[in-house]
This record gives sequence, C-alpha cells and structure tokens, in this order.
Amino acid sequence: MANWYNEIGPESDIIVTSRIRLARNITGFPFPSKMSEQQRAEMTQKVKKALLEINAPFAKNLRYIDMGDVPEREVYAMVERHIISPEFAGSNSTRGIIISEDESVSVMIGEEDHLRIQVLKTGLNLKEAYDIAERLDTLLCQKLGFAYNSELGFLTECPTNIGTGLRASVMMHLPMLDYSSAVRELTESVNKIGFTMRGLYGEGSNAGANLYQLSNQITLGITEQDALDNLEAIAKQFIAKELEAREKTDKQLLEDEIFRAFGILKNARLLSSKEMLRHLSLIKLGVSMGIINIDASLPIKLLVEGQPNMLMRAFGELDSRERDIKRASFIREAL
Amino acid sequence: MLCENCGKNTATTHIKKVINGVSTQKYLCGSCAAKLGFTGLGSGSIAGMLSSFLGDMLTENAGLNTKRCAGCGTSFSEIIESGKVGCAQCYSEFYNDLLPYIKRVHGSVKHIGKVPNSAPLAVAEPNRIALLKQHLNDLVAREEFEAAAKVRDEIKELEAKEMQ
Repeated sequence: MANWYNEIGPESDIIVTSRIRLARNITGFPFPSKMSEQQRAEMTQKVKKALLEINAPFAKNLRYIDMGDVPEREVYAMVERHIISPEFAGSNSTRGIIISEDESVSVMIGEEDHLRIQVLKTGLNLKEAYDIAERLDTLLCQKLGFAYNSELGFLTECPTNIGTGLRASVMMHLPMLDYSSAVRELTESVNKIGFTMRGLYGEGSNAGANLYQLSNQITLGITEQDALDNLEAIAKQFIAKELEAREKTDKQLLEDEIFRAFGILKNARLLSSKEMLRHLSLIKLGVSMGIINIDASLPIKLLVEGQPNMLMRAFGELDSRERDIKRASFIREAL
Repeated sequence: MLCENCGKNTATTHIKKVINGVSTQKYLCGSCAAKLGFTGLGSGSIAGMLSSFLGDMLTENAGLNTKRCAGCGTSFSEIIESGKVGCAQCYSEFYNDLLPYIKRVHGSVKHIGKVPNSAPLAVAEPNRIALLKQHLNDLVAREEFEAAAKVRDEIKELEAKEMQ
C-alpha cells in the first residue's frame, strides 16, 4: 500500500498533504507529564487493547509498535516522513504508536497528551481526513472515556489545545511566494487571524524546499467544521496567490533555473540534503508548470526518501560523505 | 566572535540544536536571536508562551500558590512554570484562575464543538461537581442565596448519585 509521499491528491501541485490531529486524554489518569512509568505502561496497554479491537474499514490492519523496540534510525526516519513528532521521537518514556499499514492513520500514545489521533492525506483533503479521525475518536471514546467538560470541551495537558483538541494543517509548496519574500508577510497576516505558518524541511527563503505548514491555533469557541472551513479557505487563497506569482514570473528565466536544477540532480556525484531540497523544489515547480515531464509525485517522494535517516533506512548505516554519495546516485537514477 | 546571521554585532547567544540526532550550533547577536525566534523560553515554545502569560497573572494573584489539585497534587504555580496542566481535574480546581488565560489564547471560554455522546457518567461528573462548587462560592460571595441554594441541591444530588 502506498504512503502519502508516493501519491498525488487534489491540488497536489501546491498542497502536498492535509493532516488532522486530535488531542485526547483518558479519564482516570493524570496527564502524561504527571504520570508514573507504571501509569504510562497501564495506560498504553489499555489503549492498545481498545485500538486493536477496532476493526473498521478506515482503520484496517492497525498494528501496535512499542517505540522502545524501534532502532533510533527508524525512529528518526518516522519523523522525516511525518508520522511522529520530534518530541515523541526524543522522549525516553514508555510510548507506543498504533499505525495503519499505509501509515495514513496513526495514534501516538504518551506524547504531550495520552492520545494524538492523526490522519494524513495527500493533497487538499481535510474533510476526508477529519472524517476518519472523527470516527476513530468516537469509537475510542466509547471504549476508553475521554476527559471532557461541557464548558471547556476535551481537556488537554496544554490549555492551548482544549475544546475541540483539533489541530488541522496543510503542507504547501510555495516557491514563488518564497522567492519574492511574500511568505513572510503572509505568515504575519495569518498569525493575526489565529493561524500559524512554519517552514518544513529547511526553513527560510531559498534555503529549503519552500514547504510550509499552515495550521489553526484556536480550538475553543469554534466548531470543528468552521475550523476546517477556515483553514481550507486560507489554503485556497495561498494557492491563488502562488499561481498568480507563477503567472507573473519571467518564464524564460524560470525555465533556465529549473533545467539547471534538473541538470545538477541528474549529474551530481555528491549531493547534500540542503542542495537536494532546493533543487527538488524547483523540479516540483517545473512539473506543476508543465516545464518538466516526469511523474508528478516524484519530487516529494525523492525529497522524503533522500532525508538522512530515510536513506540509511534503505541503504544501511552511512557517514555524512557516504550519504551525499548515496543521495546523489539514488536521485540520479530515479530522475 | 561576530554574529553568524548578520555578521555585524558581537555574538551573545549560543544556540545548540539537536534535530533528528544531528547537532548544530549557532552564535548569534541578541537582535538576530530574537528575530529568528530564539527567546529565553525554549525557542518561543507554546509552553513558554503560556508560562509567560500566566506569569503576568500570577503577580496579580500571588495568594494562589498554596492551593493544590485534589486529583494530582499540582499547584497553580507549577502549572504556570511548566505551562502544563496536571490532570483533567485541575481544570475544575483552577477554573477561575485559568479562565483569563484561556480567554486570551482562544478568545472564548465556551466549547461549541463535538460533544462525546458517550462520556461515561462516572468520570464526567466530578468535573461538573467541582464546577458547581466554584459557582456556588461565587454566588455566595455575591450574596445571591436563592440561586446558591439551588446549586447546593444539585451538588448534593450529584454527590449522592456518585456514592451509589
């Protein structure tokens, strides 16, 4: 079954993924930072049992992974393909994850909250992702009982998540807005209306892959539906602005840049992470503008698979120089 | 040593980041560090934000430190320091103390989203009782005794139900 980075979805030219995350806590246990190791183990077992009993079509072939049994490289490879958070990866406490075969549905157990229900979909697909998360949430709530009160909604360790506990986000590819520095202004504007933007895979202009994550901040006093609608409306404005910037640009110059990037990726013998990100971003732009004719999902697939721990997952332990060699040959062959 | 970002000012901040097991270091001047979001409170984390917000309020409510949550033993000042609430019951115990902060973050203090259709009664009730007790105290303080009596009866009823 294909992972998110092997596919394309609605609006994939600009919206790479849609993600839903629900923060939930089980009644009868303190929040994770106040839990003893024994309570953690107990809670994990309880969740594991409840989750594995669920046999719904949207959560097929769920399996439980004890994070303590996962080699460090694979833990960080999971971060690189956006399955778990860096905080979860770095923790030493008892923690586990329940994950579907294609990794699109997962539940982190023992992160900042007892449960973080996550659904990840390719392209602009917030509604479908939420629908799955919501059904899983309802089933789990019946089995486990979640901390909730009618005034403050679902109760979470950090008060910034109370209410719906819903953090929805989209990962956007915004190269032209990034080159013109418009991203910075737009980040400030969305901050003012309760949204956050942050760079992914190398932050800042011209430094990374021009990928940004836009997410809602407010979880109390808003319905899930409104939060999703607002996020989608803003994402669509970003799409329109990025397309407008692409339309206005000097095509000849851009085409030259894109083919140069292609030439480097096709010929380099040593390729650093940073260089890969920058050039693959141009290739992705080239593909969506019809300048380069390759499989549309390829740039993001290579970008994820070219991350340091993902490379080592596929090719074994490598030092920094060996990784650059492997990355170069792997991308050369794929393009 | 000069700031690695602007190359003009003297570097006063040393930032060490460990990302995915790879550590990188940066020497920055104060203004670049602030510009890049490296503040004293753990890179401007939400927890840091919370503790600074709450910190402001603490100075106004200095008397609150001693009370502890009956559920997990966390005090309000610990919540302020860590930015983390100890357990679900803390939200009832420190309801009035947390409310101004919650309002500041969310612009609202009332949940209007999903209602779990199956919140088990036995666990949903303690929160309700604590909320009602808080409400009762407020009513008594405002000398609205008639309303207070009604709330008192409701609390008794819920507690009786719990005992069964």
